[in-house]
Amino acid sequence: MSTNLIWGAVLIYLVVAVVVAYLSRGEATNGKGVDMSGYFLGNRQMNGFVSALSYSATTYSAFMMVGLAGLTYAGGVGAFGFEIVYFAGVSLVAIFGPRFWAVGKRFGFVTPSEMLGHRYGNGKVAVATAVASCVFLIPYAAVQLAGVGYLLAGMSGGAISFTTGVIVSTLLAILFSYIAGIRSVMWTDSLQALFMIVASTLVALLVVHSLGGFSELFDTLASEHPASLSVPGPGLFSFTTFLGLTIPWFFFSLSNPQVSQRLFMPSSLKSMRQMLIGFLIFGFIYTVVSVLWGFSALVAFPDLAKSDLATPTLLASEHVPPVLGVIVMVGILAAAVSTIDSIMLTLSSMLSRDVYANVVIDASESRQLKVGKWVLPIIAILAFLFAELQLNLIAVLSVAASTGLVVIVPAIIGAFYWQRGTAVGALASIVGGGLVVIYLYLSGVKPLGLPAGIWALPVAVVLFVAVSLVTRANRERADEFMETARRR
Amino acid sequence: MNSRRWIWLVWALVLSCYVVPYGLLGQVQAWYGSCLFWFVVGVLVIVANIMITQGF
Repeated sequence: MSTNLIWGAVLIYLVVAVVVAYLSRGEATNGKGVDMSGYFLGNRQMNGFVSALSYSATTYSAFMMVGLAGLTYAGGVGAFGFEIVYFAGVSLVAIFGPRFWAVGKRFGFVTPSEMLGHRYGNGKVAVATAVASCVFLIPYAAVQLAGVGYLLAGMSGGAISFTTGVIVSTLLAILFSYIAGIRSVMWTDSLQALFMIVASTLVALLVVHSLGGFSELFDTLASEHPASLSVPGPGLFSFTTFLGLTIPWFFFSLSNPQVSQRLFMPSSLKSMRQMLIGFLIFGFIYTVVSVLWGFSALVAFPDLAKSDLATPTLLASEHVPPVLGVIVMVGILAAAVSTIDSIMLTLSSMLSRDVYANVVIDASESRQLKVGKWVLPIIAILAFLFAELQLNLIAVLSVAASTGLVVIVPAIIGAFYWQRGTAVGALASIVGGGLVVIYLYLSGVKPLGLPAGIWALPVAVVLFVAVSLVTRANRERADEFMETARRR
Repeated sequence: MNSRRWIWLVWALVLSCYVVPYGLLGQVQAWYGSCLFWFVVGVLVIVANIMITQGF
């Protein structure tokens, strides 16, 4: 694929996205009296349609069209099942969304970690949650950046270097976050979400058509790759592997702060409903398209050395005209950038609100905001360096991200449903659970032959409950918090 | 059906995602096996969420 065509497409995408970001500037994020809630939450006034598209673009990264398609190529229909279990887990938004929204509005929370610190009456819980989120999400963002680097290098046949791709995506993420905080992130997310879904769906349908249509595609799969249509399939999705992958991802909507922070933002519960339903429709289509993409690659190119090559190979093949191939490539770039900028913005709000404000007593709103804006490029540079260095530890932490963050879930559920939960219990589950996950991934140890993804949540639950039962709960704070969540 | 029952339906669907493809449909190697099953689960999850959030 020609380098000029790739750069031309990236340039058009950049210009349109920057224009949208500038148009998104408003009083809430760029006015004189802008505060933390304005810059990071859009003053809790986001409408349902933009929230739905932005939630979709933030959730679905480059993993879908590259990783999930590759998983389908290597492991068959089990990849679809894995993604559907995650998809069903988003139903947790229907249960916890109104509760997050109500307590956020009543107590003025900006971050999910601030909410936990308040509920358990101890700032250390907020600090631990923020630090744990950084430990797992900065490497995750770095891997997204590296993904863009590999994609541009692969598509251009090496004419665009890996480093150039990483620099381009880092600068885009900083730009979209900086122009108008959450408003520019959400509006550019919306543009990117529309681009992702339209481009990938059209090209997937085109590829399926060029392979003889749906019935021909599935007939070929059934005759030449029958194992790919059942589980455990070719062997990748044994039951324990499936369980280890799906348990952490089922809780993604609660455990990942870049999406749980979105529950504070809708202007009303009606907007939250639009956000959830809009996301589910988008997510279902995008999931089916990504799986079809993997199956198409399996039929067209059954002997690839690595499953991660499924998407790049298909994009560069005669099944996809070069112009459409480059459009899908930009769609994948958009998917990565829209995830990275949201992670950066959320982590910077957590570091300023939960770490800085807990260390420096009486830090004013404007001071916190200033720190948040300073921290943002530092997080971006860290992610860039991690992507460039390709350290083994970073790869381990990024793979462990969903498992590592699931240890926050017991403290979140306990905040709303268990009056007896304590700050020490929450700290034990987040810090202890997080360390157990890191140890299991680094050592490769599988107790009882089960992967870390299965152990993380039970370990965190046991720590949270056991330690809470032997320590004193802040009953007054718990009653006030839970009553607010119930009333909503 | 009130929202609580729809929430229970979602939990049942999640459980079925493990039990049905690895049990009942384990030997069905065609589009109408696990592929169709998970597709239907996805559609039902959307319907359930529409019903659960009606009160929003």
